[in-house]
Amino acid sequence: MSHLDIELQQLKVENIRMWSLVNLQLRKGKEALLNLDKDLAREVILSERRVNAYELKLDRDCENIFALFNPVAVDLRFVLAVLKINNNLERTGDIVEGIAKFVLNVDNTFDTRLLEITRVVEMYTAANNMMESVLEAFEKEDTALARKVFQQDELLDDINIKANAIIADYIRNQPATIEPALYLLSIIRKLERVGDQAKNMAEEIIFYIEAKVLKHRSKVEKDK
Amino acid sequence: MYKIESQQVDFFYGNSQALKNINIAIKPNTVTALIGPSGCGKSTYLRLFNRMNDLIVGTRISGRVLIDGEDIYAKNINVDSLRKKVGMVFQKPNPFPKTIFENVAYGLRVNGITDKKVIEERVETSIKQVVLWEEVKDKLKKSAFELSGGQQQRLCIARALAIHPSIILMDEPTSALDPISTSKVEELIYDLKNKYTIVIVTHNMQQAGRVSDTTAFFYMGELIEHDNTKQIFTNPKIERTQNYITGRFG
Amino acid sequence: MEIDVEASLAKSKKRNQAIAFAIIRILSYSIVAILFIILSFIVYKGFSVISWDFITKMPEDGMTKGGIYPAIIGTLCLVTGSMVFAFPIGVLAAIYMNEYVKDGIIKKIIKQMTNNLAGVPSIVFGLFGMTLFVNKLGFGDSILAGSLTLGLLALPVVIRTTEEALKAVDNTFRHASLGLGASKWETTSKVVLPIAFPNIITGLILSIGRVSGETAPILFTVAVYFLPKLPTSIFDQVMALPYHLYVISTSGTNIEATRPIAYGTALVLIIIVLIVNLLANGLRKYFSKKVKMN
Repeated sequence: MSHLDIELQQLKVENIRMWSLVNLQLRKGKEALLNLDKDLAREVILSERRVNAYELKLDRDCENIFALFNPVAVDLRFVLAVLKINNNLERTGDIVEGIAKFVLNVDNTFDTRLLEITRVVEMYTAANNMMESVLEAFEKEDTALARKVFQQDELLDDINIKANAIIADYIRNQPATIEPALYLLSIIRKLERVGDQAKNMAEEIIFYIEAKVLKHRSKVEKDK
Repeated sequence: MYKIESQQVDFFYGNSQALKNINIAIKPNTVTALIGPSGCGKSTYLRLFNRMNDLIVGTRISGRVLIDGEDIYAKNINVDSLRKKVGMVFQKPNPFPKTIFENVAYGLRVNGITDKKVIEERVETSIKQVVLWEEVKDKLKKSAFELSGGQQQRLCIARALAIHPSIILMDEPTSALDPISTSKVEELIYDLKNKYTIVIVTHNMQQAGRVSDTTAFFYMGELIEHDNTKQIFTNPKIERTQNYITGRFG
Repeated sequence: MEIDVEASLAKSKKRNQAIAFAIIRILSYSIVAILFIILSFIVYKGFSVISWDFITKMPEDGMTKGGIYPAIIGTLCLVTGSMVFAFPIGVLAAIYMNEYVKDGIIKKIIKQMTNNLAGVPSIVFGLFGMTLFVNKLGFGDSILAGSLTLGLLALPVVIRTTEEALKAVDNTFRHASLGLGASKWETTSKVVLPIAFPNIITGLILSIGRVSGETAPILFTVAVYFLPKLPTSIFDQVMALPYHLYVISTSGTNIEATRPIAYGTALVLIIIVLIVNLLANGLRKYFSKKVKMN
């Protein structure tokens, strides 16, 4: 293996590590939300620092590879993809931190039934699955798996769209619960963004493997 | 601590000063690249370490050049012994007009090794080190000139390695080679640094990026900057270095 | 208009080139022709005399009959002797000059002296040889004295051609050798000399050619006209082909009768030089191959 190959492989390993950490954060966040576990939420917030540290390191690693090796073709696309995925992961980390902060601040009187009605749990599970799938697609360089993510995202969009009406309804029936209901709405929005991040990452993977640009295309085109 | 050090080194060709106050310390088992425009003194500097500049009439040096802590320009230094410790590979491959085997054996013979078995063993080991053995093992008795340019250069590296130096100096070792041979030699350099300390002069900046741990930028006989290669290529501290690397001059 | 100018320019260039090549060709052929004419002339005039007896028998009857065998042997002895003296000394001197002496006033002086030596007339060598070797050192008229004198004559040729041969060896080989920790002598003997050897042999060939035909240096130091027996030691005198040719054509007891013998002698001399050249050329080719193989 050449020197460059070694560096590229190390880059991939580092990226996977960061990704695994972010996925772990997501799972912890879901559990914290379900059980309103404030200790777990605090753990997630603390770990966010590690995610940020990874981002800085990966940025620097990519910069070094560009500067020292002038990669071309698939190697170039790979490093560009990692650079962008790095960004997506960091934002995902921020999103999870936001969810954890909500759990910290929430009142003990929060009605957990609301979680069920809005299908937030379902949404969260779907989002986590998407992130796991895309990670696996990255590890195995499997573009078919990456493409599945676009379908899975439809579920998130669906829940997101319906959430407005459901929550509005709930608030009308129990006006005292406006605050937590609004928080929940923002969590739903956040989860929808997690789905977007996963989609972006899938696009990057397909780009570097097939040199196909799928950004800003319609759903129909993407499924091809 | 340092394998090679130059302290306040000035060097003159007659009245013309080729090197001005060069201070560089090189750690063992690293690859150091010397870069800079033509005539900046990098090859002259390289040749200080095995005193090849001594062959030119009218040269003068001031300052100290230390290898393993010893000043190699001291009066009591035996230059032949120095050159056994510090090997050199030249720009244009220059195998002797001898057989492939004899080329690599030459260094051993002039170092007093006469045992046939030892010679055969070392020749084989060295040629294997440069990943040339499979290509030449059946034609060791053929002339070295029958090899391609890239193979010849690897043979010259094997020739230098056979006498077990601890330092290898390379003066633009791939500038006369095609791209595939070049990348083979670069991989070799990367592998060799585990056992040797390597200093390489190169005109090709990308090469410096690919193979070296530290890079020293020379300009008009002066050392402008010497730092980790990563630093030099992502954020050099001195503007002149950046101008050179980005190709904005020379 | 422009096209015409270009076309006519091209035409005149072509014509000039054709003329130049023609002149060169004529001159080259004429050189070969001259050589051919001389050789043919000698072969024609001397062929009748050549026989096995001529080459292998002693002279008889005031040189009108018999052979020139001792002269052949004598010439071979002198050529060998002079090379034994000139070759090692000349090569070593050239090595010293080219590999060891630094550029400077001393080198310039030695070079100038060598060139001057090359220009000294051969008769002067003869006189010098007579004074030093024959008389002062007491060798008398002998192969020894003759060889030494001829050797001195050949020395500058050997030195110059060896020097050129050494200069022609690319410095990069020296650097590679020194870079491996070899000493200067090891470099010279193991790398430089083997590469330069074919060209040094060329120098040898040239000197042999020169020495075989010299008459003046052997005039006072070794040559004798009529000596119907072979030399037994280096202190003996010998006959020699060029000298023999000279005497037989100018003095001798019966010039007309011996004229054909003169041509025969010339032919033998040329043939010997030719054979030596061919042998030396063969040697040169052999070493050329060895340079690549060893």
